[in-house]
Amino acid sequence: MKVLKLLLLPYMAAVIGAAFLWPEPAKGFIGESSRIVFFHVPCAWASTLAFIVAAVYSAAFLWKGKPWYDDIAAAAVRIGLLFGVLTLITGSLFARVMWGSWWNWDPRESSYLLLVFLYSAYLFLRAAVEDPERRPRIAAAYALFAAVLMPFLTFVAPRVTASLHPQTVINPQGKILMDTPTRAVFFGAMAGFSALFFWLLSIDARAARLRRTGENLHRD
Amino acid sequence: MSSLGYLAAVNVVIWIGLFAYLWRLDRRVSEKERSS
Repeated sequence: MKVLKLLLLPYMAAVIGAAFLWPEPAKGFIGESSRIVFFHVPCAWASTLAFIVAAVYSAAFLWKGKPWYDDIAAAAVRIGLLFGVLTLITGSLFARVMWGSWWNWDPRESSYLLLVFLYSAYLFLRAAVEDPERRPRIAAAYALFAAVLMPFLTFVAPRVTASLHPQTVINPQGKILMDTPTRAVFFGAMAGFSALFFWLLSIDARAARLRRTGENLHRD
Repeated sequence: MSSLGYLAAVNVVIWIGLFAYLWRLDRRVSEKERSS
């Protein structure tokens, strides 16, 4: 595992370098703005992955009752929100260049903002429940509720009406509209961000477990 | 150096800094896990 973490250093450095220097900028975009796709979409993917992990571990917690599963679910939501906010920031930078405004209330922008609010509420809920026995159960139930809405806000709502947003990887043509260098860097970045997510998740969940066991020691 | 080359270099340096921070954090968590 340590070797994999170490490999992430040169791997991501290569992906970042390639994102700026290898593919030609996509046609129909102002200047080099299309290069944001190598950071914006992987951030959105990492946050979706995080929310799926949160739902799986929340269900596992409700089923088995192991506190470690709650630590993982809560860490996944925190990191999912981090990537979600990065998605909004990178999207906003792109919107400023392409559409002339930082924020346009485009269907995709709006539904993604709602998704970030939906999962922010999870953290507020955790902070609001003081009883350490009830907190994980209520949070897990909420995470499952949010997971039902998440695919709708991520995949359905943005496609209901016309959008300024460029075509996504999942498009009506049913094929990936990228040249070879763009495709290589794009999927390389997706893999790298996924690995980064799992590393962050491991650090945060283990730190949460240390805090929880420390809390238990103080209470005893 | 072109402006894209400069941007790539800056982003790679930011990534190296982030990696070093995460590596240290991971090690500290592991040490605490061993001592608890």
